[in-house]
Amino acid sequence: MLEARDVSFSYGGESTVLDSVSMTLERGELVLLTGPTGSGKSTLAKCLAGLIPHVIDGTLSGHLAVEDNDLDSMRISEIARRIALVQQDSEGQLCTLRVSDEVAFGPENFLIPENELAQKVTRSLEEVERPDLLDRATYQLSGGEKQRVAIASMLAFRPDYLILDEPTSSLDPAGTRRIRHVLSNLKSQGMGIICIEHRFERLQSIADRILHLTGDDIVPFSPPPEVGPLAITSSVEQDSDPLVRAESIAYSYGSRQAIQDITIEVDRREVVAIMGDNGSGKTTLLLLLAGLLSPHRGLVYLDSEAIESLPKTVVARKTAVVFQNPNHQIFETTVWREQTLGIDIFELQEEEALGRANKFLDLAGLADTRTRNPFSLSHGQKRRLNISSIMVHEPELLLLDEPFIGQDVEGRKFVQSVIHSTVSRGGSAVVVTHDSQFAAQFCDRLVFIDNGRILLDGMPADVMKQLGKLGRSEYVNRLGDV
Amino acid sequence: MASRIGFMDVKSPVHQLHPLTKLWMLLTLNTSIILYQNGAFGLLVLSVLVLTFRLAKVSLARLTRKMRFILVFSILLFIVQVLVTTNGTVFLYLIPRIGQVGPALPVTDYGISRGVSIMLRFLVIVLSSMLFVATTDPTLLSYALTDIGIPYRYAFGLVVALRFLPLFDQENETVRMAQHSRGIYPEVGGLHKILRTIRYTFFPLLVSALMKAESLSLSMDGRGFGYQDTRTYLRRPTWRHRDTAVCFLMTMILAGVILAILGLLPQFLSV
Repeated sequence: MLEARDVSFSYGGESTVLDSVSMTLERGELVLLTGPTGSGKSTLAKCLAGLIPHVIDGTLSGHLAVEDNDLDSMRISEIARRIALVQQDSEGQLCTLRVSDEVAFGPENFLIPENELAQKVTRSLEEVERPDLLDRATYQLSGGEKQRVAIASMLAFRPDYLILDEPTSSLDPAGTRRIRHVLSNLKSQGMGIICIEHRFERLQSIADRILHLTGDDIVPFSPPPEVGPLAITSSVEQDSDPLVRAESIAYSYGSRQAIQDITIEVDRREVVAIMGDNGSGKTTLLLLLAGLLSPHRGLVYLDSEAIESLPKTVVARKTAVVFQNPNHQIFETTVWREQTLGIDIFELQEEEALGRANKFLDLAGLADTRTRNPFSLSHGQKRRLNISSIMVHEPELLLLDEPFIGQDVEGRKFVQSVIHSTVSRGGSAVVVTHDSQFAAQFCDRLVFIDNGRILLDGMPADVMKQLGKLGRSEYVNRLGDV
Repeated sequence: MASRIGFMDVKSPVHQLHPLTKLWMLLTLNTSIILYQNGAFGLLVLSVLVLTFRLAKVSLARLTRKMRFILVFSILLFIVQVLVTTNGTVFLYLIPRIGQVGPALPVTDYGISRGVSIMLRFLVIVLSSMLFVATTDPTLLSYALTDIGIPYRYAFGLVVALRFLPLFDQENETVRMAQHSRGIYPEVGGLHKILRTIRYTFFPLLVSALMKAESLSLSMDGRGFGYQDTRTYLRRPTWRHRDTAVCFLMTMILAGVILAILGLLPQFLSV
């Protein structure tokens, strides 16, 4: 049994992250851990894996034990052999250049005899259902593949307990289904598993228990009634010229064709969801629509003008892009300066702009963090700051890349309200997402991308019906009433 | 991105040599060429090197951009040498005598031979390093380094560095796009604005690097890195007879060069 009793933790004198939290995990059991952003889920995971306090400094109290052995008295490598943690950032946890080396890394450190290593590597990759990755270069893997390799690299030394921090957050629905299958198999082999998940419904079917963490309490969780969408005011202006139009555009990274011949229009007051498998070209399409990448063939028009011929600041003023990694788009030293960065750059009318800056910071739930360093915010908070700061210059075209990753219920509401406010001003939004519920309930249109081409484009309900027929039922929203 | 790292994963006799053999080849070859300043020897080594590229199935033509830079730079080296060396027999003056002025900038035989020798040495050093990188699996190299007594903790640093280099390239590109999307473009106009642009690039990259470093160290500790002073290896370079032969040959060449410099080599053997 893996046990935490009355565990409290704070990072170097700062406010308490965990306050007297207790939980247990048996072998052969799968527990989902949910809770709002910043409630300390990842911190609890690091405590349970012994990384706190052995690797990360801070003030820890309480009792942590595995099969009645106190974690405090064990060496980190002894703990690691029994309890493995797959972190949220699958990119940062791969340390070698080849998949086989990566999976062998743990067993090599634990001095597993060399004649057994190859077999362990193959078996672990089979367990994550990707034996074909064996000789691939780690830096060429897609996000989903990295996630799978990270899990395999833990399975290779047979830990008794496996903790996964948001394993499905950046996976496409097909990838999520495969992870569900993998975890269910491991569970039946007697492994104890904890999964941190915001969208608990993704793994609910294989979970024995769902726990809800609030920082100072951990309680059995019963799913709340679904958050309904904000009122959809479907008033798409189809008669006027489209806000953005791409005409047979193509783009490739070296020899790999990311976008091949896409033509798409987005009207004013329209909310478009872009869905598709990992690596299908969704993010590239978004960057092309924003004018941040130039298509190798074809043209993009913003308000009927070729985007390449427009001054760059005009494009930046009309569009706004929110990227997946919040750290890449925070530039200032305090939250307030970050929020008001656009006022100086676009020389906005100060009084009105300050009003908007206050309003959106408040909506984002960040009003109290004004003087803090934005890099010290939680992942979900940083992403909300990214979104609220671009609202100050009132962009007409919102381009959001997976805005719901790492957002709790409140965060989702905020993202939806930002889209709503843009549309009601006569703007439009293009949202790359794996969230079929959002697409079904909130979007006017769903565009499904496959291998750099548009496979389907239409009303969300129709597209999902087609996807079901094409054998891609994992993309079909089962929760909402489409 | 593969070209960024440089290692080209193909099968060739050169790839199959032990990394330490190739390291020894690189060291002896470059020591010889630096010590023994002889044009004919340089030309011979360069020709062998170009043939080895062939043997290793590494196409110099594919490295067009790098090659162009290297060739232009080597020609510049030659020209500069010719211009600054004034002793020796004068062939011609670049600026002939016109009335009272000149002659100036003599081109001498010694200048030309020095220029050729320096150009050849530069080409050999750069090309042999490129060949080494292109044919040596960095992971096997770092494992091989542990065989000559370097603790694996340090040798592994090489692998980690190569793993993260392409990543920072990508991140830099993303930060640049994020700046553009917020209307931030590099501005000329006062130190203040330049500093601001640098800060706007440096902060996000630094934070991202620190976070990557943290998850990397957690992931390595979480998989028992440093569990014992030794570890086992899935892949290990194998030492074959041909490695012994190549190392012996290279040592002989180095010894020959040293003897030639000391004037101990019979005249008919010196190139």
